Amino acid sequence: MEKRVETLLSLELPYRERMRLVRSLYRGSGEGPRVAVVSGIHGDELEGLYLCHRIAAWLEALERSHPGALRGQVELYPGMNPLGLDTLNRLVPSYGIDLNRAFPGHPQGLLPQRIAATAMAALEGAALVVDVHASNIYIREIPQVRVNHVFAERLLPLAERMNVDVIWLHGAVTVLEATIAHSLNARGIPALVVEMGVGMRLTPAYTEQLLVGLVNVWRELGVLAPELELPPVTHAPLLAHEDNVHYLNAATSGVFVPEVAHWEAVCEGERLGCIVTPFEGQTLAEVCSPVDGILFTLREYPLVYEGSLMARVVAKAREA
Amino acid sequence: MEAKTLLRMSAPLREDFDISYHDIGPQDRPPRVALVGGVHGEALNGVFVLSRLAGFLRDLAAGRRPGLELAERVLVIPAVNVLGLNVHSRAWPFDKIEINRMFPGYEAGETTQRVAAAVLKLTRSAYYRIDIHNSNADLEEMPQVRLYAPNDDERASACLFGLPAVVERPMNTIFTTSLAHAWRACGGENFVLQAGRAGELQPRHCEELFRALVAFFDRTGVVSGVQLADDEEDLHYYGLRQSFALLSDHAGFFVCRLEVGRWIHAGDLVGHIYDGFSGEIRAEVRSPVSGLVGSVRRHPLACEGDLLARIFTLDESGNDVEAMLHDQGQ
Repeated sequence: MEKRVETLLSLELPYRERMRLVRSLYRGSGEGPRVAVVSGIHGDELEGLYLCHRIAAWLEALERSHPGALRGQVELYPGMNPLGLDTLNRLVPSYGIDLNRAFPGHPQGLLPQRIAATAMAALEGAALVVDVHASNIYIREIPQVRVNHVFAERLLPLAERMNVDVIWLHGAVTVLEATIAHSLNARGIPALVVEMGVGMRLTPAYTEQLLVGLVNVWRELGVLAPELELPPVTHAPLLAHEDNVHYLNAATSGVFVPEVAHWEAVCEGERLGCIVTPFEGQTLAEVCSPVDGILFTLREYPLVYEGSLMARVVAKAREA
Repeated sequence: MEAKTLLRMSAPLREDFDISYHDIGPQDRPPRVALVGGVHGEALNGVFVLSRLAGFLRDLAAGRRPGLELAERVLVIPAVNVLGLNVHSRAWPFDKIEINRMFPGYEAGETTQRVAAAVLKLTRSAYYRIDIHNSNADLEEMPQVRLYAPNDDERASACLFGLPAVVERPMNTIFTTSLAHAWRACGGENFVLQAGRAGELQPRHCEELFRALVAFFDRTGVVSGVQLADDEEDLHYYGLRQSFALLSDHAGFFVCRLEVGRWIHAGDLVGHIYDGFSGEIRAEVRSPVSGLVGSVRRHPLACEGDLLARIFTLDESGNDVEAMLHDQGQ
């Protein structure tokens, strides 16, 4: 197995520093396909960085235990927004641009567009790209794959084997056309978007769960030897879509206090939490589930404004 | 002064706050014009001009300006992003969401979706709708009319502002969530005015904007009796191929030697890029084309590839970079 860390883009900053876009590359001995994991597009999302470390550690252990089991090539792009990650900034610092609205980019454009164009060029020809996100600092998500229905036919079979808990099939939103996943899928490169955990934090259990899904899918794609024994996929995902996902938005502003655990079955009318005020002892609003279902999104950051998202429930399928 | 409430919201710790607007003129008619400012909390020129304009229109409505008359009803929202304005934030400060990427909004949705829905609901009944913006913190824009995928009526009416540049752009994926785009589904005529740099109040630009709005009101019959000075510059329309985006080949300190709104020749000096450590000049930047200086970089720190200036050209000597920037919402 050949391993190297390489700089794909180096741009001069105004004062004696450079921004570098770096990837790690693990090349196996066979003719298997290339796959990639991309993370850190948003500088406040760290779950994917740890996943990249775990993949690297797993591949390095694999080389010791099963030399030659890597047949294809695994590429890790842990820090797509290096300036944002280094400065705890969700956006690209000094530009205020969401890097995931800058794709497919342009090689002669502004810095975010050059990052995007570099990544698009580097990922050309990949058999699968997984773009890992960690929600934001406000919301915790159960491991899930989000699929635009435009690409569902090709992506759903891959998503179902990723060992996640939810597949969220969403409609076409024009603004999302500027994301890395949409841009890759539009060019025929299969790209899955994973959301898991919460911004600025790590959830190692989710990382291990997704790692199992990734290596199983990679084996099916021929990146790993077919005879390689892997931990089994244990999570069968629920299919969420616009008809069975219910949003709970805050009725008033205050401090949201959840009273249930994330990824818990809830009943219609069940109290999930409340909104209180720090100035008085009263409860301003109760938060109740609108349906029987499972809580797959839960607010992590307690302060809410009117309208802030507190939870999402995917409704339980009705029995015939 | 009577203020109407567009949206009243509670806050986690502060007292409730309003997004307020002016509703001036004959109340028995549908609004003829809706003006919106401060969708970005740093768009100070627009907020200031709209507050002054509202005062002017109220004077007209109250008969305090002899010889001038307000014939139509006008809605004015000086600032949409009230919280952002008060804490110097372009986006909605709590969750850092850009309100102009949330249209058409949703009344039962996230906070910024509710704000967007309320703005659209109020303004949709007007025939003319005008959204006023500064640029961002890096760039200064000359006062100009922006049209996005306009119809012929909008093209014709854009000249009524009397501003020297009408800049026409196709729609792109980023702008489909903007207020200007949401207005398109409501019919009527829709305009974006750009002037100045975010976070600054620039009196020269404000005066030009104010005059442009009054001229528009006069020429569309919203007000009557105005005596406009006859010193407007020649007006030109600039399509995508009539804009040259000058990008930096070097990183460093950029010192601009130009003012927006001036005509320059090919080869004229735009500015210098200095090494911030040694002080040496790293590059002398000259314009490759002749034209009108539409925007210039005011933030001195520039990376390789940053926009230094935008020159509007009378012929189609613009560059592909402009189309690329437009695609990226710049």
